[in-house]
Amino acid sequence: MRTLVFIPAWNEEGSVPAVIAGVGEALPEADVLVIDDGSTDATASRAREAGALVASLPFNQGLGAALQTGYLYALQEGYECCAHLDADGQHPPAEVARLLQEIYADRADLVIGSRYRDPDRAKTDDYKPTFSRRIGTGVFRFFLTLATRQRFTDTTSGMRAANRRVMALFSERYSPDFAEIESLQLAVREGLRVEEVPVRMLERIGGTSFLTPLRSAFFIFKGLVVLLVGQFRPRRVEAER
Amino acid sequence: MTAAILAAVKQVNLTAQTRIVAAILAVAFMVMILELIRRDKLQERYSVVWFVAGLGMLLGAAFPGLLTLVAEAMGVRNTNVALFSIVLLLLLGLALNFSVIMSRQAAQITRLAQEQALEKARAQAAEERETGRARS
Repeated sequence: MRTLVFIPAWNEEGSVPAVIAGVGEALPEADVLVIDDGSTDATASRAREAGALVASLPFNQGLGAALQTGYLYALQEGYECCAHLDADGQHPPAEVARLLQEIYADRADLVIGSRYRDPDRAKTDDYKPTFSRRIGTGVFRFFLTLATRQRFTDTTSGMRAANRRVMALFSERYSPDFAEIESLQLAVREGLRVEEVPVRMLERIGGTSFLTPLRSAFFIFKGLVVLLVGQFRPRRVEAER
Repeated sequence: MTAAILAAVKQVNLTAQTRIVAAILAVAFMVMILELIRRDKLQERYSVVWFVAGLGMLLGAAFPGLLTLVAEAMGVRNTNVALFSIVLLLLLGLALNFSVIMSRQAAQITRLAQEQALEKARAQAAEERETGRARS
C-alpha cells in the first residue's frame, strides 16, 4: 500500500535528519514528507539533504496546521495510508511501523501510539514525563474519555497512523491550534474506529518542550473549552459511507 | 400616543448648539467613510455598518425626541444611560463581528499557506523524479 510518513518540524535542524533516516530504515517503502512550519533555521535544507520531500509553510502556523498539511498532501496525492511522528526524536520509527500494521490490516481508521497504555511498560520506560505534563495528561485523559465514551490514555500523542477516511476528515477540519485532542473527539464523533497501541517513546534528541507551568495551565484551560464546544459541533455528513 | 411623544420631545434638553455640532460630526464621519472607500482603504462590504452608524448619529441630532422614545421603550428614565448602553451594545456586536471575520480570514490564510507549501513539495518530487531518471 502506498504510504506517506510525514513529520511536522519547527526549528528542529538538529534532530530531523536522524528521524528521516530512521523512518527510511523502518519503512523503506514509504515516502517521507517533512512539513517545515516556518522554521528560521536550516530544518528545510537538512531534511532535503536527508532525502525527504519538504513542504515549507511560509510562516509558523502551529502544529495543527502543519499536521493538516500532511493529511492534505496524503489525500491529494492518493496515498492509501499515512502516519506522522514528531521531529524531535521522541518517537522511534520502528513503532510507527507497528501503528501502520493496524491500518494495513484494517483494524482501525486511526491509530494512536500511546506511551501510557501498558502499565508494566511505564515502569521500565525510557520516557519520563514532567510533573506539569503528567497533570495535563490526567485531565485530558479524563475529559476526553468522558466526551467520547472511549478509553484514551495518551491524548496528546503526536504519533499516529491513519487511512483515507481520516485524511478526508482531517484535511477538511482540523483545529489549527488545538490539534491532538480535538481531532480524537472529532474522529470518534464521526464514527471512525480509533485505537490506541502501546509504544515506546524516548527523550527528545534536540529542542526543548514548550510547556512551562503557566503555559500548561492555559493549555489545559483551552483544551477543556475546545472539548466542550466540540461536543456541540454539528456532525459532518460523510459521503463515503 | 401623540401626547406622549410631544411630552417626550419637550423633555429633551439638548441645546441647538449641541445638535448642530452632532450633525456636523455625523456628516464629517460619513464623508470620511466615503473618502476611505474612494481611496481603496475600506471595502464597501465592511462600510455599510459604518454608514448606518453615521445615519444614526445624524438622526439623533435632527430628532432628539427619538432618543427619548427609545429610552422610554427600554424603560430607562435617563436618556444618557440609554444612549450609552445602546452605543456600547452596538460596539460589542461590531467587535464580535470583526472576530468572526478575522477567524475566517485566518482559516483562509492557513489554507493558502498549506496549498503553497504542498505546491513546493510537489515541485521537488517532480524534480527528483526527473533527476532520478537522468541518473539511471
